[in-house]
Formats: sequence, C-alpha cells, structure tokens
Amino acid sequence: MDWNLLFSSYANVFLDPTVLLMTLLGAVGGVLLGAIPGMTATMGVALLIPFSFGMDLIPSVGLLLGIYCGGMYGGSISAILIHAPGTPSAAATLLDGYPMAQKGEAGKALSVAMFSSFCGGVIGALIMTFLSPLVAKVAMKFTSAEMLMLAVFGLSVIISISGKSISKGLISAFFGMLLCTIGLDPTYSKQRFTFGVTSLKGGLSFIPVLIGLFAVAEVIAGVERIIAGRESAQAKSTEKITRVLPDGKTIKQIWANIVSGGIIGTFIGAIPGAGGDIAVFVSYAFNKGTSKHPEKWGTGIPNGVASTESANNGCSGGAMIPLLSLGVPGDSVTAILLGAFIMKGIQPGPMMYVSELPTVYKVFAALMLANLAMLIVGCAGVRVFAKIVSLEKRMLYPIILVVSLLGAFSINKNVFDVGVCVAFGVIGWLMNKYEFPLSPILLALILGPMCEQNFVRFMDLNKGDFSQIIHYPIAIGFFVVAVGVVIYSLINQKKINKREKEALAKAGVEDVSFAQE
Amino acid sequence: MEVKKTQSKAFANLIASILLLCFEGWAWYQTTLIKTAKNAAVQPSAFPRIMIIGMTVFTVTLLIQSVIKLSSMKPDDPLAQKAESLNLVADKGVRAAFLVIFLCCLYVYFFKSLGYVVVSFLLSAIIMWLIGLRKPAPLLLISSLVPLGMWLIFYKFLSVNIPMGWLQFLRDLVDKI
Repeated sequence: MDWNLLFSSYANVFLDPTVLLMTLLGAVGGVLLGAIPGMTATMGVALLIPFSFGMDLIPSVGLLLGIYCGGMYGGSISAILIHAPGTPSAAATLLDGYPMAQKGEAGKALSVAMFSSFCGGVIGALIMTFLSPLVAKVAMKFTSAEMLMLAVFGLSVIISISGKSISKGLISAFFGMLLCTIGLDPTYSKQRFTFGVTSLKGGLSFIPVLIGLFAVAEVIAGVERIIAGRESAQAKSTEKITRVLPDGKTIKQIWANIVSGGIIGTFIGAIPGAGGDIAVFVSYAFNKGTSKHPEKWGTGIPNGVASTESANNGCSGGAMIPLLSLGVPGDSVTAILLGAFIMKGIQPGPMMYVSELPTVYKVFAALMLANLAMLIVGCAGVRVFAKIVSLEKRMLYPIILVVSLLGAFSINKNVFDVGVCVAFGVIGWLMNKYEFPLSPILLALILGPMCEQNFVRFMDLNKGDFSQIIHYPIAIGFFVVAVGVVIYSLINQKKINKREKEALAKAGVEDVSFAQE
Repeated sequence: MEVKKTQSKAFANLIASILLLCFEGWAWYQTTLIKTAKNAAVQPSAFPRIMIIGMTVFTVTLLIQSVIKLSSMKPDDPLAQKAESLNLVADKGVRAAFLVIFLCCLYVYFFKSLGYVVVSFLLSAIIMWLIGLRKPAPLLLISSLVPLGMWLIFYKFLSVNIPMGWLQFLRDLVDKI
C-alpha cells in the first residue's frame, strides 16, 4: 500500500472546500430523506444524481455518499420516534429504539444511533481502505448455492427475534415468506395468489407492508389504548436532552456492539445482492446471542440500537468494495454510483487499482468524510428530531398516520399500495394483540425473494438434485453456522423465558388466580 | 383477579391456530390453481407450498402447546393471563380501533377522487377529535397544515405527483410560483 499517496488523497479530499460543502449538503439531504417513511437512500441518490453531472468526480461522489450515509442514519430517526423505519435498513432499529423512546429516552436513542452509525461507517471505510481486494475476492465466489445458504443463514436469526414464543415467530416468518410469493413467479412468470388483480402481479411492495405493519398498526393500537383508558391522550415525552453524543458510560456499554455490527455490516455489504436490511438483523441476532442479558434485548436498551445502526452504516463501506475492486455494485446505491463513475470516464474494476489509484483513495476518503458529515448533521439535529415525541399523543398519532400513508403511496405512486399499507396495519395490529412477533415477517420479506430465486436457479443448474450443494464449501459453511445459530438461539431463548418467568413470579403475579371452568 | 380459561392467552392461541390452519388449507388450495411450467426442475407452486408446510408444522405445534397448556395450566403461568379482546360490544377501545380501520378504508377509497390533502385532513381531524382533541384551532390547523406541508415537500422537492382532487388548483399555483 502506498501510504504517501493514501495520506495525500485523504488530505486533498478533507481540505477541498467544494468536496466538504457537497458532502455536507448530501448528508443533510440524506438524513432528511431517510427520516421520511418510504423515502430511501437509493431514492435520494437517484433524485440528486442529475445535480452531480456538472461537478468533478470527487465532489459528486462526496454528495452521493453524503446522501447514502445520511440516509442510513436518517432511517433510524422515524424508526425510533414513530415506529416507522424510514428505510428498510432501519427495520431492526425499532426493536429497541422505539421502546427507548416510549420510556422517555428518545434523545438518548437518537444519539446512540447517530454515534453508532458514524462508528459503523468509519469501520466500513477502514476495512474498505485496507482489505477491499481480499474481501471482494471472497464475495465474488458466491454463486446461487452460496446466496441460497446466505439467505438461510439470515433466516436462522428469526428465533432470536421471535420473542417469547418460537412457534409464533416461525409462523410469522413462514407467513412472510409466503407473502413474498404473491405475484408473477421470478423464473417462469406464472401468476401466484394474484386473484386477477393487476397490481398484485408485481408482488407486494416492501415499504408499504413495512409501514403498515409498524406505523399504521401502532396508530390503531394507540387509539385503542387511549379510548380504553390505558394511555393518556395528553401523554408526551418530557426528556431533557443535555448532550447530543452518548456519555462515556453508554459508550463503554455499547462499544463491543458497535465494533461487531460494523464488521458484520461491512462483510455482508460486500456481497452483491445483500445489503443493510439483512446485515442489521444478523448483527442484532449476533449481539443479542453473545450478550450476558439477552432478555433485556427488545425492551429498549442502547445496545440493540448500536448493533443495528453500526451494521447498516458499515454496509456503505462494504458495498463499495465490489464496486471499486470488481466493477460490480454491492447494492442499488452503488449501482447508481457505478453510473456516475462511468459518466466521468472511469471504469471501476481491478484495473482501477492500477490506473486510477489516487481516485480509489479519494473515494475512500470521501466515504470517511461522508460519515463525518453525517455525524455533524446528526448532532445538529438530535434536539430538533427529539421534539417530535414531545407532541401530545392525540396530535402525534393522526400525523403519523397521514405521513405514513403518503410514504406508502410515494413508492410506486399507486393508491393500491396505500390499501396494502392499511391492510397490513390491521394484520400488524391483530398480530401484536395476540403476541405474534412482527420482525420475523420483515426478515422473511427481505430474504424470501433472494431465497426463492437462488433455490430455483440452483435446482435448475443441478437438474433438480439438491444434494449437489455439498460441492459448495462456502455454502455448507453458511449452513453449518445457520444450524449453530438456531441451536444457540433455542438455548438462549429457553434461558430468557426462564428468567422472565422468575421475574414475573417476583413481580407478584400471585394475585392472578386461574379459574377452572 | 379471576381469569376464565376461555379468556386466557392459551385459549386465544388455540383459536388463532385453528384460524391459521383454515388459512393454510385455503392457501394450499390456491397453489393448486397455479399453472405448471414445462421442463421446470422446480414448479412455480413449489416454493409457496414449502412455506405453507412450514407454517402448518408450527401452527400444529402451537395448537398442541395450547391444548396441553389449557389442560394443565397453573395460575402463575404467563399464558394463564387474560388475552386481549376483540369484543366490539364490551370494549370501547376495540370499537375505536375498528372505527379507525373503517376510516382508513374510506381514506383509500377516496384518495384519488378527493385528493391526498382533503382525505388526510378529514382522517386526521376525525381521529384527533375521537381521541380527545376538541379545541377547533389546533385540530383544524394541524389537520390541514401537515398534509399540505407533506404534499408540498413531496411535490416540489421530491417530484412525487400526488392526487390533489378538489385542490388541483394548488398545483398550478405552486407551479406558477
């Protein structure tokens, strides 16, 4: 590695006022866009790419990476505050982020999310700088067999996000996978569960389902609680935010989650087709599994927020690895970035490390800068964002509803999606009422298409003989790890249930006497 | 507090598993209607069927767990606690929830014809009133300004064309400005 060139490239980027300004503007746009349910970082990059046409390469890359990193953090804002993840990558952040906000710790949750996003992004950028050729080499060995088993590995974390009942968690997961099969089948274009509805041919859009299951369901449940007298309509958060970054004690508590989340995010991000949405669940499950107190996860602890937010921002560095070293985009945002490079006359790929090494280093530096810009924007915005939950519930719930339904519409500009959002709001409300966990559906919706497509492709390539999978060592490795995760999660869940039962007994449930009929 | 067996969470699980089994049977029947593909190693109906089988296995597990639990449940068991109700007559919270769902259905139905701002105004104003915000000024201001602001952001800055119905003239006005 040419250290002199690396340092001079970093200095060039960090001292160029145009790059600084563009990256900061990108981060502002990304955070705001990401915070709106339904608006993803991909959309932000796609919307702003025309503005980058007239710029030099590095300022335009800075702008786009600013949106990318800002959008990744922005998604957590609405997940924490209103139970509606702004982006799919923030889907797991609500598991602990929203309960923290409910406990009056919205500001703390936001600052942990921001700090973890920054650290995860820096970890991703560092790994990208030093290990990109090596990681890309491994990631590109992935065929349909490895991708199938990667999806299976991703699904193995379902047990750890299933909550009290594993059976219910797995029913939710299979239901989610079944939902993925609605529409034309990906290989032969035969209609499945479409019932003659044209809008169903393309399948269910992920974002309206996500918004429905979480935001709309929460509003229905909130109205029910208020009318039944279980929640005050005037309830609002009175949290005073004294600092925008987490204190030393919290950092000490979450640093291990940040590091592991960042590394997991980077490696999953480096695999083409796998992104932040998968990485956050894997990171959450890993960190919960290795925690001394797994029973506290999901109740609103900063560790849960840190593990997911560092993972999704780590992905931004990971996704750049195959883009730069092989010319293959790791996700939809880097696919757009690939277009930006080509428009500037630079072809990413192995030769880029030979002919355009200064540019490669400048892109590394721009990613680092984008994460820094995201931190600055986040610090400036924590107090403002946290004000949202200081609104009374009787004002907040209707606002969440109309903003969420608009988010559902904006994805495909289709009223049908608003209907889907409402339908899943009802499903989510009923599932919450009867303690069927919602997160497994989410994970299944993310991994289902990847699982089916690669399963069918693998079976077609091997003439229907699944036993051929034994010839793919990486795939077998993933499968073994997945089985290990399932066994470990089962043991862990048993421990959690036992501790909860003990806690329940201590809390005095003795007064609940059961009457035999 | 005395909790009847039929009001317990275990009984709710039993009912849920029976309903789910009915759903799975219906979904399986739907897979028989999927057209087959020639020379395919995996038929288009195969993956949904695998998912239905998986779902059924765990639904049956839940059913068995519920039956066992109901027959030998202790009062301190978490599943012996009272389950949430769906009783429209006895529970005013449930009635309100169903009212919100009904309003959301109307919202979707009139979204295109009345436009986003009008339907959102009506929906949020009714819900705010329902959950106790009776002061006209904040009720009307929030219900009108939030949808208007969101429409403006989406239309002007994000280039998302949202149905405006009766308020179509606002788009022309914004375009002129």
